[in-house]
Amino acid sequence: MNFDIDYIAHNNKLSQMDTYLKILIAIPIMLIALIADNLLLDFVVFIVMAIGITIVAKISVKHYIKFISIPFIFAFVSCIFLIFFFGKGEVIFETGIFGIVVRDDALNLGVYTFCRVFACFSCLGFLTLTTPISDLLHFLHRLYVPKILIEIALLMYTTIFIFLDQLDVMRNAQETRLGYIGTKSTYRSLGFLFSNLFIRSLEKSETLQNSLNSRGYDGELPIYEPSKK
Amino acid sequence: MHIMEGFLPPMWCLLWFILSIPVVVYGIIKIKKVTEEIPESKALLAVSGAFMFVLSSLKLPSVTGSCSHPTGNGFGAVIFGPAVTSVLAIIVLLFQAVLLAHGGLTTLGANVFSMGIVGPFVAWAVYKGIVKSKISSSIAIFFAAFFGDLMTYVTTSFQLALAFPDPTFEGSLIKFLGIFAITQIPLAIAEGLLTVVIWNALKDAKPKILEKLNLLSSKEVGASK
Repeated sequence: MNFDIDYIAHNNKLSQMDTYLKILIAIPIMLIALIADNLLLDFVVFIVMAIGITIVAKISVKHYIKFISIPFIFAFVSCIFLIFFFGKGEVIFETGIFGIVVRDDALNLGVYTFCRVFACFSCLGFLTLTTPISDLLHFLHRLYVPKILIEIALLMYTTIFIFLDQLDVMRNAQETRLGYIGTKSTYRSLGFLFSNLFIRSLEKSETLQNSLNSRGYDGELPIYEPSKK
Repeated sequence: MHIMEGFLPPMWCLLWFILSIPVVVYGIIKIKKVTEEIPESKALLAVSGAFMFVLSSLKLPSVTGSCSHPTGNGFGAVIFGPAVTSVLAIIVLLFQAVLLAHGGLTTLGANVFSMGIVGPFVAWAVYKGIVKSKISSSIAIFFAAFFGDLMTYVTTSFQLALAFPDPTFEGSLIKFLGIFAITQIPLAIAEGLLTVVIWNALKDAKPKILEKLNLLSSKEVGASK
């Protein structure tokens, strides 16, 4: 399990750019695309964001396609579903199977939804592929999101990566002992894996608290925010 | 499956945000109170939130052949209660959107409502109800995880049917429920079973933790001593 997005977010040409600017580009465009619901606009947004991600931020096309492929499949399947099973307008195409037909308003709905999802997803992609999470959390802090929420999120973010390391180690150990050879043993192994991980996480939280306390933690986590170019 | 970025029309995005925010605010107030009383609990919350995230990014083999992932909210709700879980869920969902491109920012409100509020609340109520009637906690946790998962998807179907009432709300609700029933009931059972295995291993290895959190049924407390 690896988070390509996190690695890319820290290593691209735009990761040093001002967070505010990136958010000011991505979020309003996303909202406009969502509210306007216009096919041409959706298409333009998609192209602009693709250019922003691949050419301006210099993220390889391979990574971008990998990022966009899973949402693409989901959106495609959902919209096919919308096209074939919805609507009450004029029948424009008959499949001849179980009386399933395509109606003109359903086709409209499906196509519009698909394009809207894509436009919004490109904006999200632009934001997440160029902005590290810690920068986003700093931004949320400025928006008067309660401090405790940000703190827990930051602690969570660091812990996730510790967990993933431990998970990999334990999973490898199980796999080398044929722990995932059948469905039954898979469940058994997964149970062991996660109960162990939970126990370790409790121990980890104790260690984390101790290390915070020993460094003078008084309920606040001041974090250095490096100045951007 | 979370609702994708941009899938809901703007009006519905806004509505679900408005409905979710009070619960999350209540959860934050509750967390604030707890962390002021017991400062150690902040680290515990963060670590368990990370645990929820890792659990939900796990691929689970389900009967239909498709790979789905557990939500982990039933487990969280049983251990920490529904209000706290809703706060953890909003962070988990934000991370999923940002780190895994799963879900989205505009649909965050709707997803929090289904996965962070309805699911955990049902799971917690089911668990408390079953444990009160002195049935083994392993059985209770199965039903908690099962119903928590199921109700999450029922809520998602409601949200989708409200957003796409085409031709009627009932008609489209049945369609969405039908689609989810095929894929999600096996998944809910799988998550229930997995949670039981985790729970049993936890009960064997560290019964003291569960006792301290006051989660076992009264019969089991005596047995584990």
